[in-house]
Amino acid sequence: MATLTISDKERFLINQEGQDFSHEAKTFIKIRELALKNLKELDFPTNKLENWKYTNLRGISKIEFRPQSAINIIAAKVKAHKIPNLDAYTLVFVNGFFSAEFSDTAEEKDGNFVVTNLNTAKKKFIKFVEPYLGFQTRAKDQFFVNLNAAFSQDGAFVYVKAQQKLDKPVHIINLVDGDLVAAYPRNLIIADKLAEAQVVVSYETIDTASALSNVVNEVFVAEGAHVQMDKIQNENGNTYHIGADYAVQHKDSTFTINTIPANGKLIRNNLSILLDGTGCTANLNGAICLNGDIHVDNQTYVDHAQPNCDSNELYKAVVNDQAASIFNGKIYVNKIAQQTNAFQSNANILMSDDAKANSKPQLEIYADDVKCSHGCTIGQFDDEALFYLRARGIKESTAKKVLLEAFIGEVLDNIKIEAVRDYASALIAKNFNSKN
Amino acid sequence: MLKINGLKAEINGKEILKGLNLEVKPGEVHAIMGPNGSGKSTLASVLAGREEYEVTGGDVDFQGEDLLDLSPEQRAGEGLFLAFQYPVEIPGVSNINFIKTAVNEVREYRGLPNLETKEFMKLLKEKQQLVELSGKLANRSVNEGFSGGEKKRNEIFQMAMLNPKLGILDETDSGLDIDALRIVANGVNELKTKDNAFVVVTHYQRLLDYIVPDFVHVLYDGRIVKTGTKELALELEEKGYDWIIDEFKETV
Repeated sequence: MATLTISDKERFLINQEGQDFSHEAKTFIKIRELALKNLKELDFPTNKLENWKYTNLRGISKIEFRPQSAINIIAAKVKAHKIPNLDAYTLVFVNGFFSAEFSDTAEEKDGNFVVTNLNTAKKKFIKFVEPYLGFQTRAKDQFFVNLNAAFSQDGAFVYVKAQQKLDKPVHIINLVDGDLVAAYPRNLIIADKLAEAQVVVSYETIDTASALSNVVNEVFVAEGAHVQMDKIQNENGNTYHIGADYAVQHKDSTFTINTIPANGKLIRNNLSILLDGTGCTANLNGAICLNGDIHVDNQTYVDHAQPNCDSNELYKAVVNDQAASIFNGKIYVNKIAQQTNAFQSNANILMSDDAKANSKPQLEIYADDVKCSHGCTIGQFDDEALFYLRARGIKESTAKKVLLEAFIGEVLDNIKIEAVRDYASALIAKNFNSKN
Repeated sequence: MLKINGLKAEINGKEILKGLNLEVKPGEVHAIMGPNGSGKSTLASVLAGREEYEVTGGDVDFQGEDLLDLSPEQRAGEGLFLAFQYPVEIPGVSNINFIKTAVNEVREYRGLPNLETKEFMKLLKEKQQLVELSGKLANRSVNEGFSGGEKKRNEIFQMAMLNPKLGILDETDSGLDIDALRIVANGVNELKTKDNAFVVVTHYQRLLDYIVPDFVHVLYDGRIVKTGTKELALELEEKGYDWIIDEFKETV
């Protein structure tokens, strides 16, 4: 008698089913169908894959995560996750579902910009959404990106018309509430020609004993446009976070992304930037300060597809307790991308014997007239500097704080919104202390 | 003020100080000289509390306190200051924030309230002038990109800000040109009162033309083998150390 066995992946996918997307326009249903088709061929990445060498997902594939809309969210619990003193258009998502009650959507009278949820935009602004949504994420081989494409419930939609500037930052708050939640928020941010936008995306937890946040951010930066994005990951210690950020930049545009993975159980970030026009600047920064047994894995990919572009990458990590920080940064310079300036730096400080850091810079250069550099360091606390401060009467605890703040501060200085910088600094300062 | 009695210290299992005695009273300036490897910098480091050195014998009394029992920051709080031979560069920490934190932490240790910003700025200006340290350096990272002379002047500036009871200068004169040397020495002389004291560790008699010592000690093989007045320094400059070493070996 034949026995029917079912793989972890198949069971996992079955658990994600049952959502009704039939109300969506055909073009969007097609994206989901394609993703489902890809998922048939794919599986959870294993350590055998070079880019997943240090991050093991066996835990996730066995857990019965399911999409769940949250019920009875108390206002105070949402408010607790706002960033103090941040004046912004706020969009709140709970378990990946839009929470209109706690959000302020905005549509400028003249249509200069739109800040709303993606489901609304899919109906009302289909001509803006259609050319962009899923454009960058047709990556057939990315299990989690396809998972998000297939099952995403909602997300933020930000559109800034040509030559316009968003008068306030947009703050997208993603909350998780409930046990065994699988949340698939997906944001789409479009800055048209010469437009400007600042977007803050934060991931936080109301309460959960076990959750999966599988998120995708797609950013389009048109000719001469400027987009700054700050991504703060502050979920509880029971949450797996698998994120993918994609940006496409056109001629003379600037895109800056500051990533602050502060809390969670496991965080994986895949950041991919395509410099698809001449004269672009991309800035990628990561401020990582970890304690407890969190595992954080940042993978970055900058594709210099066109000449005369700059990319500046700075990731710094302070790792305490049994925490682990992985960095894998790849810079690809196409053979036509002459006069490329690509700089990458990754510095790590290990604060305890059990803390771990892995750093893998990769340069792949096919043009011959470029300036590229990369450097990585993994070291201990600077004892000489510590003694110098103490010899001047500064307590050991204060001295350590001063030195760590200086180390990470270089990254945080890139966050232009003061309230966000303060919020990130506070999260980091808290993690300087051991949890043991 | 400072009484060192039979001090023995080692690093990585190698004994450097082998029973050193020294007494410093308020108002005095002591110079410590000696050939390379005699233990001069080790003495300065042990007094400041550098952890790589292990004290294996003897004791040090600093104003009635067991100095060796205190952490480096407590020693600074009690009024001990070490001007580093090699001042440390600290990227990302501005010189002004550094010294402000230090001043206030030392004040806290002494039970004093933080300095008001206005008072602090006044003190800062005054002490910067004392060592002719450019105000521009205040906003730069500590010692980063400073010239050798600027680093040493920054040490004396910090000493002036913290106003210690006992200042230990560890080869502060090494590598300085004559102008910088004069500025550094002048700073020390301005800070000198009848209530504080200085221990000046140096290779060269030259510094002692500017900072006139009450006593000159010769350190050799981890012990003070000869003590004299400033004339001894001149004699050392002329004749070197061999005659003292020979003299010492004969007595052992």
